[in-house]
Amino acid sequence: MHEMSLVRSLLQQVEQLRRQHGGLAVEQIEVEIGPLSGVEPLLVGEAFDTLTVEQSLTGVQLVIQEVPLTVHCLKCCLDFEMTELDFHCANCNSSAIRIIGGDEFRLLNVTLQTDSADDSLHGVASESGTQRGSHS
Amino acid sequence: MTSTRTITVNQDVQAEKKRRAAELRNSFSQRGTFVINLVSSPGAGKTSLLEATAKYWQGKHKVAVLVGDLATERDAERLRPYVPVEQLTTGGACHLELALVERGLQRLPEVDFEFLFIENVGNLVCPASHDLAEHLRVVLMSTTEGDDKPGKYPKMYRTSGALVINKSDLLPYVPFSIDAAIADARLIQPDLAAFTVCSLTGEGIESWCQYLEEARERMIESTRQATECTAL
Repeated sequence: MHEMSLVRSLLQQVEQLRRQHGGLAVEQIEVEIGPLSGVEPLLVGEAFDTLTVEQSLTGVQLVIQEVPLTVHCLKCCLDFEMTELDFHCANCNSSAIRIIGGDEFRLLNVTLQTDSADDSLHGVASESGTQRGSHS
Repeated sequence: MTSTRTITVNQDVQAEKKRRAAELRNSFSQRGTFVINLVSSPGAGKTSLLEATAKYWQGKHKVAVLVGDLATERDAERLRPYVPVEQLTTGGACHLELALVERGLQRLPEVDFEFLFIENVGNLVCPASHDLAEHLRVVLMSTTEGDDKPGKYPKMYRTSGALVINKSDLLPYVPFSIDAAIADARLIQPDLAAFTVCSLTGEGIESWCQYLEEARERMIESTRQATECTAL
Protein backbone atom coordinates (compact mmCIF):
# COMPACT_ATOMS: atom_id res chain seq x y z
CA MET A 1 0.00 0.00 0.00
CA HIS A 2 1.76 3.14 -1.17
CA GLU A 3 -1.16 5.53 -0.78
CA MET A 4 0.36 6.67 2.52
CA SER A 5 3.58 7.84 0.89
CA LEU A 6 1.73 9.55 -1.96
CA VAL A 7 -0.70 11.32 0.36
CA ARG A 8 2.23 12.41 2.53
CA SER A 9 3.82 13.89 -0.56
CA LEU A 10 0.49 15.55 -1.44
CA LEU A 11 0.24 17.16 2.01
CA GLN A 12 3.81 18.46 1.75
CA GLN A 13 2.96 20.15 -1.54
CA VAL A 14 -0.21 21.62 -0.06
CA GLU A 15 1.72 23.00 2.92
CA GLN A 16 4.24 24.55 0.57
CA LEU A 17 1.40 26.22 -1.36
CA ARG A 18 -0.21 27.47 1.83
CA ARG A 19 3.03 29.20 2.86
CA GLN A 20 3.73 30.50 -0.60
CA HIS A 21 0.29 32.11 -0.78
CA GLY A 22 0.19 33.30 2.82
CA GLY A 23 -2.79 31.12 3.70
CA LEU A 24 -3.84 30.87 7.35
CA ALA A 25 -5.16 27.34 7.00
CA VAL A 26 -6.10 24.79 4.39
CA GLU A 27 -9.83 24.33 3.95
CA GLN A 28 -10.12 21.91 1.06
CA ILE A 29 -7.92 19.82 -1.23
CA GLU A 30 -9.31 18.54 -4.51
CA VAL A 31 -7.59 15.66 -6.29
CA GLU A 32 -8.21 13.58 -9.38
CA ILE A 33 -7.90 9.80 -9.52
CA GLY A 34 -8.41 7.62 -12.58
CA PRO A 35 -8.40 3.87 -13.23
CA LEU A 36 -4.66 3.77 -13.99
CA SER A 37 -3.58 6.25 -11.31
CA GLY A 38 -2.08 3.43 -9.31
CA VAL A 39 -4.02 4.50 -6.21
CA GLU A 40 -7.33 3.40 -4.79
CA PRO A 41 -9.67 6.28 -3.86
CA LEU A 42 -10.88 4.54 -0.70
CA LEU A 43 -7.31 3.99 0.51
CA VAL A 44 -6.33 7.54 -0.39
CA GLY A 45 -9.20 8.70 1.83
CA GLU A 46 -8.04 6.51 4.70
CA ALA A 47 -4.42 7.61 4.35
CA PHE A 48 -5.62 11.22 4.25
CA ASP A 49 -7.62 10.81 7.47
CA THR A 50 -4.69 9.19 9.28
CA LEU A 51 -2.11 11.71 8.14
CA THR A 52 -4.23 14.81 8.73
CA VAL A 53 -4.77 13.69 12.33
CA GLU A 54 -1.03 13.07 12.72
CA GLN A 55 -0.20 16.47 11.30
CA SER A 56 -2.90 18.35 13.22
CA LEU A 57 -4.74 19.17 10.01
CA THR A 58 -8.11 17.76 11.02
CA GLY A 59 -11.02 19.51 9.38
CA VAL A 60 -9.38 19.75 5.98
CA GLN A 61 -11.80 18.47 3.35
CA LEU A 62 -10.59 16.06 0.70
CA VAL A 63 -12.56 16.03 -2.52
CA ILE A 64 -11.79 13.17 -4.87
CA GLN A 65 -12.82 13.48 -8.52
CA GLU A 66 -12.88 10.05 -10.08
CA VAL A 67 -12.25 10.35 -13.81
CA PRO A 68 -12.41 7.74 -16.57
CA LEU A 69 -9.44 6.54 -18.56
CA THR A 70 -9.32 8.62 -21.72
CA VAL A 71 -7.05 7.93 -24.65
CA HIS A 72 -6.07 9.41 -27.98
CA CYS A 73 -5.47 7.37 -31.12
CA LEU A 74 -2.35 8.63 -32.88
CA LYS A 75 -3.51 7.13 -36.17
CA CYS A 76 -7.10 8.35 -36.62
CA CYS A 77 -6.97 11.07 -33.91
CA LEU A 78 -10.06 9.78 -32.09
CA ASP A 79 -10.27 10.61 -28.39
CA PHE A 80 -12.33 8.12 -26.42
CA GLU A 81 -13.05 6.75 -22.97
CA MET A 82 -11.61 3.31 -22.45
CA THR A 83 -13.94 1.15 -20.40
CA GLU A 84 -12.38 -2.25 -21.17
CA LEU A 85 -8.60 -2.33 -20.84
CA ASP A 86 -7.82 -3.12 -24.45
CA PHE A 87 -5.33 -0.62 -25.85
CA HIS A 88 -6.53 -0.66 -29.41
CA CYS A 89 -8.47 2.14 -31.07
CA ALA A 90 -12.25 1.74 -30.87
CA ASN A 91 -12.47 3.16 -34.39
CA CYS A 92 -9.46 1.97 -36.44
CA ASN A 93 -8.04 -0.77 -34.17
CA SER A 94 -4.59 0.86 -34.18
CA SER A 95 -2.39 0.11 -31.17
CA ALA A 96 -0.79 3.56 -31.32
CA ILE A 97 -2.73 4.80 -28.32
CA ARG A 98 -1.68 7.55 -25.94
CA ILE A 99 -3.31 7.97 -22.56
CA ILE A 100 -4.57 11.51 -22.09
CA GLY A 101 -6.33 11.16 -18.74
CA GLY A 102 -6.94 8.82 -15.86
CA ASP A 103 -3.42 7.49 -15.32
CA GLU A 104 -2.28 9.97 -12.69
CA PHE A 105 -3.00 10.99 -9.13
CA ARG A 106 -3.35 14.74 -9.63
CA LEU A 107 -3.65 17.65 -7.28
CA LEU A 108 -6.31 19.87 -8.88
CA ASN A 109 -6.66 22.76 -6.45
CA VAL A 110 -6.31 23.88 -2.87
CA THR A 111 -8.70 26.18 -1.04
CA LEU A 112 -7.00 28.31 1.59
CA GLN A 113 -8.34 30.48 4.35
CA THR A 114 -6.70 33.85 4.01
CA ASP A 115 -6.68 37.00 6.05
CA SER A 116 -8.70 39.36 3.87
CA ALA A 117 -7.37 42.38 5.78
CA ASP A 118 -3.83 41.57 4.72
CA ASP A 119 -3.01 44.05 1.95
CA SER A 120 0.04 42.14 0.90
CA LEU A 121 -2.19 39.49 -0.55
CA HIS A 122 -3.93 41.86 -2.91
CA GLY A 123 -2.75 41.68 -6.42
CA VAL A 124 -1.39 38.18 -5.99
CA ALA A 125 -2.59 36.09 -8.85
CA SER A 126 -5.15 33.60 -7.69
CA GLU A 127 -3.82 30.91 -9.95
CA SER A 128 -0.44 29.31 -10.00
CA GLY A 129 -1.05 27.30 -13.12
CA THR A 130 1.59 24.69 -13.74
CA GLN A 131 2.27 22.43 -16.64
CA ARG A 132 0.54 19.14 -16.83
CA GLY A 133 2.91 16.26 -16.33
CA SER A 134 3.87 14.62 -19.56
CA HIS A 135 2.71 11.17 -20.47
CA SER A 136 5.06 8.60 -21.72
CA MET B 1 -11.70 38.77 8.78
CA THR B 2 -10.88 35.63 6.93
CA SER B 3 -11.90 34.68 3.47
CA THR B 4 -11.09 31.77 1.23
CA ARG B 5 -9.14 31.55 -1.95
CA THR B 6 -8.72 28.62 -4.31
CA ILE B 7 -5.32 27.98 -5.86
CA THR B 8 -5.41 25.95 -9.06
CA VAL B 9 -2.55 23.49 -9.33
CA ASN B 10 -3.62 20.75 -11.77
CA GLN B 11 -0.43 18.77 -11.51
CA ASP B 12 0.56 15.16 -10.90
CA VAL B 13 1.24 14.65 -7.20
CA GLN B 14 4.52 13.06 -8.27
CA ALA B 15 5.46 15.76 -10.79
CA GLU B 16 8.59 16.81 -8.91
CA LYS B 17 9.76 13.20 -8.48
CA LYS B 18 9.13 12.53 -12.16
CA ARG B 19 11.19 15.59 -13.07
CA ARG B 20 14.07 14.38 -10.90
CA ALA B 21 13.80 10.89 -12.40
CA ALA B 22 13.95 12.34 -15.92
CA GLU B 23 17.06 14.31 -14.98
CA LEU B 24 18.79 11.24 -13.56
CA ARG B 25 17.76 9.18 -16.61
CA ASN B 26 19.34 11.81 -18.82
CA SER B 27 22.61 11.62 -16.90
CA PHE B 28 22.58 7.82 -17.24
CA SER B 29 22.04 8.23 -20.99
CA GLN B 30 24.97 10.64 -21.27
CA ARG B 31 27.23 8.09 -19.56
CA GLY B 32 25.97 5.25 -21.73
CA THR B 33 24.40 3.40 -18.82
CA PHE B 34 21.22 1.58 -19.81
CA VAL B 35 18.98 1.26 -16.77
CA ILE B 36 16.45 -1.55 -16.36
CA ASN B 37 13.78 -1.60 -13.65
CA LEU B 38 12.91 -5.25 -13.12
CA VAL B 39 9.53 -5.91 -11.53
CA SER B 40 7.57 -9.06 -10.72
CA SER B 41 5.53 -10.74 -8.03
CA PRO B 42 7.56 -12.39 -5.24
CA GLY B 43 9.28 -15.60 -6.29
CA ALA B 44 8.98 -15.16 -10.07
CA GLY B 45 12.77 -15.29 -10.29
CA LYS B 46 14.12 -11.73 -10.58
CA THR B 47 17.36 -12.57 -8.82
CA SER B 48 17.77 -15.81 -10.81
CA LEU B 49 17.25 -13.93 -14.08
CA LEU B 50 19.87 -11.40 -13.04
CA GLU B 51 22.28 -14.17 -12.03
CA ALA B 52 21.84 -15.83 -15.43
CA THR B 53 22.22 -12.47 -17.21
CA ALA B 54 25.31 -11.46 -15.24
CA LYS B 55 26.91 -14.88 -15.85
CA TYR B 56 26.16 -14.68 -19.57
CA TRP B 57 27.75 -11.23 -19.79
CA GLN B 58 30.75 -11.90 -17.57
CA GLY B 59 33.83 -10.37 -19.20
CA LYS B 60 31.67 -8.79 -21.92
CA HIS B 61 29.73 -5.95 -20.31
CA LYS B 62 30.09 -3.87 -17.18
CA VAL B 63 26.97 -4.54 -15.16
CA ALA B 64 25.81 -3.39 -11.74
CA VAL B 65 22.70 -4.22 -9.74
CA LEU B 66 20.68 -2.38 -7.12
CA VAL B 67 18.52 -4.88 -5.25
CA GLY B 68 15.42 -3.79 -3.40
CA ASP B 69 13.98 -5.86 -0.59
CA LEU B 70 11.97 -5.28 2.53
CA ALA B 71 14.63 -6.92 4.65
CA THR B 72 17.80 -9.09 4.45
CA GLU B 73 20.79 -9.00 2.08
CA ARG B 74 20.09 -12.44 0.62
CA ASP B 75 19.56 -11.35 -2.96
CA ALA B 76 22.62 -9.13 -2.96
CA GLU B 77 24.76 -12.00 -1.68
CA ARG B 78 23.61 -14.23 -4.52
CA LEU B 79 24.62 -11.67 -7.13
CA ARG B 80 27.87 -10.46 -5.56
CA PRO B 81 30.08 -13.19 -7.12
CA TYR B 82 29.29 -11.79 -10.57
CA VAL B 83 28.68 -8.04 -10.37
CA PRO B 84 28.87 -5.03 -8.03
CA VAL B 85 25.65 -5.04 -6.02
CA GLU B 86 24.08 -2.67 -3.54
CA GLN B 87 21.16 -3.78 -1.44
CA LEU B 88 18.35 -1.24 -1.00
CA THR B 89 16.43 -2.28 2.07
CA THR B 90 13.08 -0.55 2.14
CA GLY B 91 12.34 -1.32 5.77
CA GLY B 92 8.85 -2.53 5.02
CA ALA B 93 7.93 -0.21 2.15
CA CYS B 94 6.29 -2.09 -0.71
CA HIS B 95 8.21 -0.42 -3.53
CA LEU B 96 11.45 1.35 -4.35
CA GLU B 97 11.54 5.10 -4.68
CA LEU B 98 13.96 7.35 -6.50
CA ALA B 99 15.64 8.53 -3.28
CA LEU B 100 16.62 4.94 -2.42
CA VAL B 101 18.06 4.44 -5.90
CA GLU B 102 20.05 7.67 -5.59
CA ARG B 103 21.47 6.50 -2.28
CA GLY B 104 22.34 3.08 -3.69
CA LEU B 105 24.14 4.69 -6.63
CA GLN B 106 26.39 6.65 -4.30
CA ARG B 107 27.48 3.41 -2.66
CA LEU B 108 28.44 1.65 -5.88
CA PRO B 109 32.21 1.61 -6.39
CA GLU B 110 32.02 3.50 -9.68
CA VAL B 111 29.48 4.98 -12.07
CA ASP B 112 30.47 3.88 -15.55
CA PHE B 113 28.40 0.78 -16.15
CA GLU B 114 26.93 -0.31 -19.46
CA PHE B 115 23.91 -1.84 -17.76
CA LEU B 116 22.39 -1.06 -14.40
CA PHE B 117 19.61 -3.33 -13.18
CA ILE B 118 17.28 -2.20 -10.44
CA GLU B 119 15.62 -5.26 -8.93
CA ASN B 120 12.41 -3.90 -7.47
CA VAL B 121 10.52 -5.25 -4.47
CA GLY B 122 8.37 -8.25 -5.44
CA ASN B 123 5.06 -6.49 -6.05
CA LEU B 124 3.14 -5.70 -9.24
CA VAL B 125 1.04 -2.89 -7.83
CA CYS B 126 2.91 -0.08 -6.08
CA PRO B 127 6.18 -0.15 -8.09
CA ALA B 128 4.11 0.64 -11.20
CA SER B 129 3.63 4.22 -10.01
CA HIS B 130 7.28 5.01 -9.28
CA ASP B 131 9.72 6.17 -11.94
CA LEU B 132 13.21 5.06 -10.89
CA ALA B 133 14.96 6.83 -13.78
CA GLU B 134 14.98 3.63 -15.82
CA HIS B 135 15.12 3.48 -19.60
CA LEU B 136 13.21 0.22 -19.66
CA ARG B 137 10.76 -1.40 -17.30
CA VAL B 138 10.73 -5.16 -17.57
CA VAL B 139 7.98 -7.22 -16.04
CA LEU B 140 8.88 -10.78 -15.20
CA MET B 141 6.33 -13.53 -14.70
CA SER B 142 6.80 -17.24 -14.18
CA THR B 143 4.91 -20.19 -15.62
CA THR B 144 3.64 -21.13 -12.17
CA GLU B 145 1.69 -17.87 -11.82
CA GLY B 146 -1.10 -18.40 -14.30
CA ASP B 147 -1.37 -16.95 -17.81
CA ASP B 148 -4.33 -14.70 -16.91
CA LYS B 149 -2.22 -12.48 -14.64
CA PRO B 150 -1.30 -9.57 -16.97
CA GLY B 151 -4.85 -8.20 -17.11
CA LYS B 152 -4.95 -8.03 -13.33
CA TYR B 153 -2.03 -5.61 -13.17
CA PRO B 154 -2.83 -3.21 -16.01
CA LYS B 155 -0.75 -0.27 -14.83
CA MET B 156 2.39 -2.37 -14.52
CA TYR B 157 1.99 -3.92 -17.94
CA ARG B 158 1.02 -0.62 -19.55
CA THR B 159 4.18 1.05 -18.23
CA SER B 160 6.51 -1.83 -19.19
CA GLY B 161 8.46 -2.29 -22.40
CA ALA B 162 9.24 -5.99 -22.13
CA LEU B 163 7.82 -9.16 -20.63
CA VAL B 164 10.03 -12.07 -19.61
CA ILE B 165 8.35 -15.39 -18.85
CA ASN B 166 10.59 -17.45 -16.57
CA LYS B 167 10.63 -21.13 -15.53
CA SER B 168 10.02 -22.47 -19.03
CA ASP B 169 11.34 -25.82 -17.79
CA LEU B 170 8.10 -26.24 -15.81
CA LEU B 171 5.82 -25.81 -18.84
CA PRO B 172 5.14 -29.56 -19.18
CA TYR B 173 3.82 -29.65 -15.61
CA VAL B 174 1.69 -26.51 -15.33
CA PRO B 175 -1.44 -25.35 -17.15
CA PHE B 176 0.23 -22.27 -18.60
CA SER B 177 0.02 -21.01 -22.16
CA ILE B 178 2.85 -18.72 -23.27
CA ASP B 179 0.70 -17.44 -26.15
CA ALA B 180 -2.27 -16.68 -23.88
CA ALA B 181 -0.07 -14.79 -21.39
CA ILE B 182 1.55 -12.69 -24.11
CA ALA B 183 -1.80 -12.01 -25.80
CA ASP B 184 -3.30 -10.87 -22.49
CA ALA B 185 -0.34 -8.57 -21.84
CA ARG B 186 -0.47 -7.12 -25.37
CA LEU B 187 -4.10 -6.07 -24.98
CA ILE B 188 -2.74 -3.57 -22.48
CA GLN B 189 0.66 -2.91 -24.05
CA PRO B 190 0.59 -3.83 -27.74
CA ASP B 191 4.28 -2.98 -28.22
CA LEU B 192 5.49 -5.24 -25.41
CA ALA B 193 8.57 -7.31 -26.34
CA ALA B 194 8.28 -10.86 -25.01
CA PHE B 195 10.84 -13.51 -24.05
CA THR B 196 10.58 -16.99 -22.62
CA VAL B 197 13.51 -18.11 -20.50
CA CYS B 198 14.63 -20.60 -17.94
CA SER B 199 17.12 -18.86 -15.69
CA LEU B 200 18.25 -22.16 -14.18
CA THR B 201 19.22 -23.82 -17.45
CA GLY B 202 20.07 -20.65 -19.36
CA GLU B 203 17.47 -21.32 -22.06
CA GLY B 204 16.40 -18.12 -23.79
CA ILE B 205 18.97 -15.96 -21.98
CA GLU B 206 20.89 -15.26 -25.18
CA SER B 207 18.00 -13.57 -27.00
CA TRP B 208 17.01 -11.66 -23.86
CA CYS B 209 20.58 -10.35 -23.53
CA GLN B 210 20.73 -9.51 -27.21
CA TYR B 211 17.51 -7.53 -26.89
CA LEU B 212 19.02 -5.50 -24.03
CA GLU B 213 22.21 -4.86 -26.03
CA GLU B 214 20.13 -3.55 -28.93
CA ALA B 215 17.98 -1.44 -26.62
CA ARG B 216 21.16 0.10 -25.17
CA GLU B 217 22.45 0.85 -28.68
CA ARG B 218 19.17 2.61 -29.49
CA MET B 219 19.41 4.63 -26.28
CA ILE B 220 22.98 5.70 -27.17
CA GLU B 221 21.94 6.62 -30.70
CA SER B 222 18.95 8.69 -29.60
CA THR B 223 21.07 10.44 -26.95
CA ARG B 224 23.66 11.25 -29.62
CA GLN B 225 20.97 12.64 -31.93
CA ALA B 226 19.43 14.71 -29.14
CA THR B 227 22.87 16.15 -28.34
CA GLU B 228 23.49 17.01 -31.99
CA CYS B 229 20.11 18.67 -32.09
CA THR B 230 20.82 20.97 -29.15
CA ALA B 231 24.31 21.71 -30.50
CA LEU B 232 22.86 23.22 -33.68
